[in-house]
Amino acid sequence: MSNPFLIKKDEKPSVAKIMFNIVLVALIIYLIFYFSLKVLGIVLDFSFVIVMRTRIFDGFIMTIIISILSLIISLAIGIVIAMGKGSSLLVFRYFSNAYVQFIRGTPLIMQIYLFYYIVGTAWGISNRILAGVVILSIFEGAYIAEIIRGSLLSLDQKQIEAARAVGFNKKQIIKIVILPQMMARTLPALTGQFASIIKDSSLLSLIAVIELMQTFREITAGNYNFFGGYIFLGCLYLILTLPISYISSRLEKSFAYEN
Amino acid sequence: MKKIMIKITLALLTLMLVTGCSTTEIDDTEDDTLTVAMELAYPPFETKDDQGNPTGISVDLAKAFGQYIGKDVEIVNTAWDGLIPSLQTSTADMVISSMTITDERAEIVDFSNPYANSLLAILANKDANITSIDDLNQEGKKVAVKIGSTGYIYAQKYLTNAEIIGLSDESACVTEVIQGKADGFLYDQLTIYRNYIANQDTTDAIFIPFQDTESWGVAVKKGNTELLTQLNDFIAEYQANGGFDELTEKYLKDEKAAFDELGFKWFFDLDDSNE
Amino acid sequence: MKIKLEKISKSFNSEQIVLSDVNLDDDIQTLAIIGPSGGGKSTLLRIVGGLLYPDAGQLLIDDKLVTFNEKELLQYRKELGFVFQNGGLFFHLTALENITVPLVKVHHYTQKEADKLAIELLTRFGLKDDMYKRPAELSGGQQQRVAIVRAVAAKPKMILLDEPTSALDPEYTNEVLDTINELKKEGMSFIIVTHEIGFARQGCEKVAFLKDGKLMEYGLSEEVFTNPKTKELQQFLSKLLEWN
Repeated sequence: MSNPFLIKKDEKPSVAKIMFNIVLVALIIYLIFYFSLKVLGIVLDFSFVIVMRTRIFDGFIMTIIISILSLIISLAIGIVIAMGKGSSLLVFRYFSNAYVQFIRGTPLIMQIYLFYYIVGTAWGISNRILAGVVILSIFEGAYIAEIIRGSLLSLDQKQIEAARAVGFNKKQIIKIVILPQMMARTLPALTGQFASIIKDSSLLSLIAVIELMQTFREITAGNYNFFGGYIFLGCLYLILTLPISYISSRLEKSFAYEN
Repeated sequence: MKKIMIKITLALLTLMLVTGCSTTEIDDTEDDTLTVAMELAYPPFETKDDQGNPTGISVDLAKAFGQYIGKDVEIVNTAWDGLIPSLQTSTADMVISSMTITDERAEIVDFSNPYANSLLAILANKDANITSIDDLNQEGKKVAVKIGSTGYIYAQKYLTNAEIIGLSDESACVTEVIQGKADGFLYDQLTIYRNYIANQDTTDAIFIPFQDTESWGVAVKKGNTELLTQLNDFIAEYQANGGFDELTEKYLKDEKAAFDELGFKWFFDLDDSNE
Repeated sequence: MKIKLEKISKSFNSEQIVLSDVNLDDDIQTLAIIGPSGGGKSTLLRIVGGLLYPDAGQLLIDDKLVTFNEKELLQYRKELGFVFQNGGLFFHLTALENITVPLVKVHHYTQKEADKLAIELLTRFGLKDDMYKRPAELSGGQQQRVAIVRAVAAKPKMILLDEPTSALDPEYTNEVLDTINELKKEGMSFIIVTHEIGFARQGCEKVAFLKDGKLMEYGLSEEVFTNPKTKELQQFLSKLLEWN
């Protein structure tokens, strides 16, 4: 009879064992929350979800839209900046470095205020959603640039030498060797970055973009149900980020052929 | 294996049932310190001095109350959204943060008797052509409000044609009006007045009253009748001894003069207020 | 293949002299390049293979001058096959694809032709069962044999091998050398940089000894190994054979 809580070194647990322990963890988490709330004298009330379902749904969709748009634009920015860092045109190279240093060295909150109220106003960008997407893309672009640059630099030079030896021309080397290998290195990290984009989009609530976080701030300001509200909000974000984490780890496994 | 699992499940269930039947709550009203929560972002009521220490009308009021009941006072700087939760979780004993008494809030917390009046006013962008609240309630007009404030509540209820921009900071709201991103900012008279004075080139202040007078109260956790009684007694006494006049003299001299000129009821003039 | 090296020199970072004034003129069938590490062997091989540019000197293949610019070298490299010490196979492609992709993209075979040829060769060298595996799933010996198949598939004039067995566990060395020998019997010409003195001596017609960037001895393996002329080669050989 095997111990229901432990697994031996290389043992793969049976389905029954897995389910039992998952239920156990869920129970522990539930109990922690339950006791904390009880001690504070708070009763959870989720009835607002039904009443506010349209607003919650709209906020949820807006978060998704903003995140997807930002992903696309920040990917483009990231690729350009990653190439810029290695550029032989010094102005391009120095600009790319400065951009990454500044964006990664300052908090997103500050960037949102700076870009929206100062730069955005000067350039006449009044649409909040547009401004929000642009700001978020600029922010995430710097991080993506580093991911891409990191994988570019980690490319095995021997592979490129072999590509030359085999007779590939420059275009072929990029298409047949460099791009596929870079995809394998960057895709898992990029999907992780997508989850970051989704979470970081919550800060756009500061400029009143009506995404998920802002929606909940407004709802809880009206019904004073902060606990129910924010717990539910957490679950909604998890619905978005958990599948992404799962996909990311699947991708990592499938690209592990280098080892 | 089955036996062990059943035993464990039963143990957990029993645990839940036993604890579910008791009512333990944190009780720290026996402390010698009075924890007062306020958002230190609302001069001259709740703000910080150059060293970063809490200062302002509400701070003085809190300290005076502390003296009155013989307890030390600890001021805890809390974001607006977190004020009521801090009472709900008993991390603060009371909230003096220029908070308006509303029916919705009164369902969650208990309020003392009013200690000040407040009326909403509009800070309008100079070019937005706003002369009254009705001008704001038009399609295409944008109204900035601080989330959770009475201005926010009013806008949600009555300014149904306008686009409501809910921001977390008063300063962000003012900036939006100055930059023309919003046509008007709905907030209390005093703040509107002060911001208008600071930005006369870009803003107008509209003081035409458009609602019933509201009052500010001190909030405590629901059911804390002991503290509530002490507060009400204190407020009455403080008022009678001219404490509020002293505060006005100290912090709001110019504003009182301006209000008198404009013919507005002064904050601490509670004689004709109704609840 | 006639190879003529005239005063080939190369240095890295303008400080480190790797090759100095290498001269050679011969018709080569099978050649082993031996010598102590750092002697310039791999560099010389890469110059002959068109993968590195000499700082000075000329290279003539079959009496034709090899122009060292990427455009010309692209054509030149197509006629050669190269086998690296390790990491030469594209690890994101299967063994089969490693062979067929260059055939299709560089030598303009059709996919069908390429598949057929590749499968034939792999089967011949006992790698049929490993066709669809990626390099990480193959043993060192299998990887090198696939690399050799890739190098010879397009029927190059000559294949160049840079220490193909140095990174292998000893048990795999023989299978790789056997493969090279098989190809030799079919008429494949090659230049191999190697520490396998036994193979250099018995498997290769000619041998070149490189030390400190200079070509010290050159000639038929039979002769050079039995009668090393220079002191340096004598020392080198005696050191090598110490533990044999």
